[in-house]
Amino acid sequence: MLQDARFRAIMAQAALLAGVAALGFVLLTATARNLELRGIPLGFGFLWRPANFQIAETILPYSSSDPNWWAAVVGLSNSLFISVLVILLASVIGLFIGIGRLSSNPLVSGLCRVWVEVARNTPLVVLLIFNYALWWEVVPLATQAWKLAPGTHISVRGLSMPALTWSASVLAPAAFLATSAAILVVASYAARQRQVETGRRPAYVSAAWLFTALGASIFLLAYRDAVSLDIPEFRRANFSGGWSLTPELTTILIGLTFYTAGFIGEIVRGGILAVRKGQWEAATALGLSRGQTYRLVVVPLALRSIVPPLNSQYINVVKNSTLAIVVGYQDFMTVVSTMINKTSHAIEGVAIILGVFLAVNLALSALLNAYNRRIAIMER
Amino acid sequence: MADTASNTIARTAGPDMRSLLRRLAPFFGTPLNAALTVVLLWLMARFGWLLLDWAVLKAAIFPAEPETCVGKTGACWSFVIAKSGQILFGIYPPTERWRAGLVCVLIITTLVASARPSAWRPSLGLVWVAMMVVVLWLMGGGFGLAAVPTSSWGGLPVTLILTVFAIGLGFPAAILLALGRRSNLPVVRTLSVLFIETIRGLPLLSLLLVASILLPLFLPEALLPDKFVRALIALTIFAAAYLAEVLRGGLQSIPSGQSEAAEALGLGYWKTQRLIILPQAIRIVIPALTNTIIVMIKNTSLVLVVGLFDLISSGKAALSDPAWPAPSTETFLFIGLIYFALAFSFARFADFLERSGAEKRG
Repeated sequence: MLQDARFRAIMAQAALLAGVAALGFVLLTATARNLELRGIPLGFGFLWRPANFQIAETILPYSSSDPNWWAAVVGLSNSLFISVLVILLASVIGLFIGIGRLSSNPLVSGLCRVWVEVARNTPLVVLLIFNYALWWEVVPLATQAWKLAPGTHISVRGLSMPALTWSASVLAPAAFLATSAAILVVASYAARQRQVETGRRPAYVSAAWLFTALGASIFLLAYRDAVSLDIPEFRRANFSGGWSLTPELTTILIGLTFYTAGFIGEIVRGGILAVRKGQWEAATALGLSRGQTYRLVVVPLALRSIVPPLNSQYINVVKNSTLAIVVGYQDFMTVVSTMINKTSHAIEGVAIILGVFLAVNLALSALLNAYNRRIAIMER
Repeated sequence: MADTASNTIARTAGPDMRSLLRRLAPFFGTPLNAALTVVLLWLMARFGWLLLDWAVLKAAIFPAEPETCVGKTGACWSFVIAKSGQILFGIYPPTERWRAGLVCVLIITTLVASARPSAWRPSLGLVWVAMMVVVLWLMGGGFGLAAVPTSSWGGLPVTLILTVFAIGLGFPAAILLALGRRSNLPVVRTLSVLFIETIRGLPLLSLLLVASILLPLFLPEALLPDKFVRALIALTIFAAAYLAEVLRGGLQSIPSGQSEAAEALGLGYWKTQRLIILPQAIRIVIPALTNTIIVMIKNTSLVLVVGLFDLISSGKAALSDPAWPAPSTETFLFIGLIYFALAFSFARFADFLERSGAEKRG
């Protein structure tokens, strides 16, 4: 029987499972004993007790008397806020770097190369800490703030910029408008399918466009005063009003964007180089300009080899946002760590951290894979 | 188009003029390029001057004493010079620093030697084991050297030790995981996939957190390793999961005819893998492996969060000296340059080997 391959395979797997189970059992009993010795209770009840700690900068409303679970949600929103902003900024900058590295101008390609090499060969932690040190060294006091654009200033207090504000009365009509726009997008997508199938374009699409445009203009006219731009003003040693980011958040955004843009630049460059020379020549032969060639031929083809590595880069951004801790910005992980220190519910806290990161990353990767399937080459 | 325009001018000009124009064409050939050149030159001149002014003209360099920096508006390099030993080696006993320095040289030599494709034979594993034993002896002491506990290790040696130990210990595990992921046995395959994907789905920082917060709860007190070993365990698990994926790529590119031929010769599973499949697969993924080493060099900088004395922490410790103004920008620039020099030169070296290897084959 020992010579039978199937029998041996089953025994080997059974032994492996037993080994894993035994390891789990040993760890569990040791953990239970350790918890008992130190008198640490187990359970998620602490999530509903008040957090009793401050979070310096939040996207969602928060006060220290809110329960722990809300503090975790607020921390998560901070992490996701950083991730989304960095993904957007780094994608745009990375696209330019990738194209810039292929420029015929040595100055442009050289500078882009320096960017990429610095980003790829320096640890993100060092970049963030250096950025933060540099911030306090070079950024001026609020009275001598650098003016980047009208209403947008950088000073030791952080970055302040104009913000859109609106009164509550706009919300209902704005929601209505957004819904009708969403319906319109779906309808025109369906109409395009219809046009592909029957060769005829359904008439209702133009009517729907007209209707939405009309709605939008009425909305803009009627609520002209309800929406306004809140421009920060300099009052008593600081800017007030508008939208402001702390030095911590600003340095993280700059550092993480710099780092990610370097990686995305390399991905974009690789994708463009992967487009065959014949495609360029064909586009030139058709009389397309360089810009048109990029927009109509190269980018759609390059996207196919760019999207898979880009997806893992986006997931890396979410993971890298945890490094916010080194400059003291309170992201999800920092908030839950604080919670662990205050309540000593270490196992539950770490389980929450691991579970949430796995969930966020799996969801993001499912979403990005779905997009990848849409643009991938259809092989018949 | 732009080239033809400049060529027309060049043809009517003299030979010197012609070559000058040809050389300038990439910079000013099209209106867009000309505009970019002007703007970039202006920016480079402006920031270059600021940098030169700060880093050289107004900088305090010699002598390496606190007084040198007083009243200077530029960089305080004398701090970096005076503290370079402390930044590089942390709280390692100053009289024993030669040992830590030797460890750095030994590790970098091994890494460079291992990147050559001709070094990829089974004996390389023995070289690594020997290197790791010698490194532990030099750093930790014993057998004739004064003992230095891991809590006194610091600076660059910590960065390098964590890198090579995580890779050296993670590599055998990665081979098993990669083979497991391609195994026909469903239990083995599922466990491998679960392990690899879970680790790769988590930030390294959260793994370090598990190692520093949860391991003390999981393990009986007698078995609990110190802070250094705990961080090393987290880094090793992390490296194993990523190396396994790199190896899987290599395994996938071996045509199935190879394992079929081995089977026809009567080789069993392990002999087939050891003698036929793995040697070919590993050779294919060498460029990806050097890349993983660079990623690990960079990743070890995260251990500062769990309180190990790597380059950044020792830099911070040096900055806390009240006798000096705390020039943190200069210090972190210095540390960043160390990392950059390590990672960049290693990447260039790997590139060079890859290209020369491709030429020989091709």
